[in-house]
Amino acid sequence: MQIESKEVLNLEGVACPQNSAMALLRLESMKVGALLEIVVDEGEPIKNVPLSLEAEGHEIITKMKVDKIWKILVRKS
Amino acid sequence: MICKMEIYLDNAATSMIDPRVSEAMLSCQDMKAMNASSAHRLGVVAAKAIEKTRAKIAREINAEPHELIFTSGGTESNNLALKGTAFANKGRGNHIIVSQIEHMSVMATAQWLETQGFQVTYLPVDREGFVSPKEVEKAIKRETILVSITHANNEVGTIEPIDEIGAICRSKNIFFHSDACQSFTKTKINVKGQNLDLVSLNAHKIHGPKGVGALYVRRSVKMEPLLHGGGQEGGVRSGTYNVEGIVGFGKAVEIAGEVDIKKMTELRDYFIQKIQSGIEKADLNGPRVKRLCNNISLRFRSVNGQSLTRELSEKGIYVSAGSACLSTKVTPSHVLLAMGLEPERAQEAIRISLSRWTTLEEMDLVAQSLSEIVRRSRKVG
Repeated sequence: MQIESKEVLNLEGVACPQNSAMALLRLESMKVGALLEIVVDEGEPIKNVPLSLEAEGHEIITKMKVDKIWKILVRKS
Repeated sequence: MICKMEIYLDNAATSMIDPRVSEAMLSCQDMKAMNASSAHRLGVVAAKAIEKTRAKIAREINAEPHELIFTSGGTESNNLALKGTAFANKGRGNHIIVSQIEHMSVMATAQWLETQGFQVTYLPVDREGFVSPKEVEKAIKRETILVSITHANNEVGTIEPIDEIGAICRSKNIFFHSDACQSFTKTKINVKGQNLDLVSLNAHKIHGPKGVGALYVRRSVKMEPLLHGGGQEGGVRSGTYNVEGIVGFGKAVEIAGEVDIKKMTELRDYFIQKIQSGIEKADLNGPRVKRLCNNISLRFRSVNGQSLTRELSEKGIYVSAGSACLSTKVTPSHVLLAMGLEPERAQEAIRISLSRWTTLEEMDLVAQSLSEIVRRSRKVG
């Protein structure tokens, strides 16, 4: 099985909607189909960021909680 | 819009907005960029525009995007740099060093900090307005927490030895701030290479909008906010984002370029040479080299700068006497006095500051008008 490489964007401590904005800008700089792991805080960020990404057509693959943070794996559309 | 017969040469006070900047600002309305702190979709649109601009400006000074804080302009940036650093780091010491030729937003802030228990050393400059790095080193003591030296002076255009001063401050673990409002996009700013910890920037001197600026703050610098509220800008600067202004600022930075610098430098040198060869007792304030590309500061013996400015204004030529911020005061410029001029000589100064749109024809017309007014004034006087 081939493991796809991914970029990581740590947005811990970044408030809404700056976190969404920064995630979308990073995705803009990536190739279609590329994977990005976004780290966000619990609470509003894990609710808002995936919604913003989906609204722009990106595909959320997984959302995983690790201690007090969340890791979102998204594929650029 | 300035009509055909008017010549605007007060660009160090403020510059006209470039149409491309206006267009970028208007585009914020088209894309419905709303409050960049609102979590809904239109808030994200605004936040995206801001973060894009932040990255663009940060790149220009070799900083990381998160190290840039948007403010309302140069005065706020300078206030935040000095007060924010002083209060957040008072456990380390209470001594601050500035030069005697700083912009009033640094000078007045330093003077106010003295009333709050801080000690300030005001460093002298030489006859061309240069701060000596050796003098900076000598002034540093155990209690020193911050050195603030302008990147380039707003009145006489002297570009200070920032690299050397930065190296000294870094070696002594002292924060180094520079007010780069006049020099931004006109001389290279490299916060990493020049060991800068804080840098003040603004938009309206570079054909951007008024009411927007930025402060670069190196990640390791502790800052106390001036404005408390919604916690924007990492809690250091609360307040609703000026989205249109910030986007305009970014556009102004994007379109500033080497061509403008080269053109303005050539016009500056041509004009200085023309004036000094055509008018007797015309002296240049500040250095010939290591000078801002758009700054010409002159004095004409026995001709008052305020009167000269008024007469030029009547002819549709707009320049300033001393600095714009001081032009309502009758006291001579603190910058020129610090450079060793007698008060009488300092009152003779006028500042002509160019823009990317200044032409050779305009400079010839100004030279001709200056020559006539100076000759007439001397005859009458």
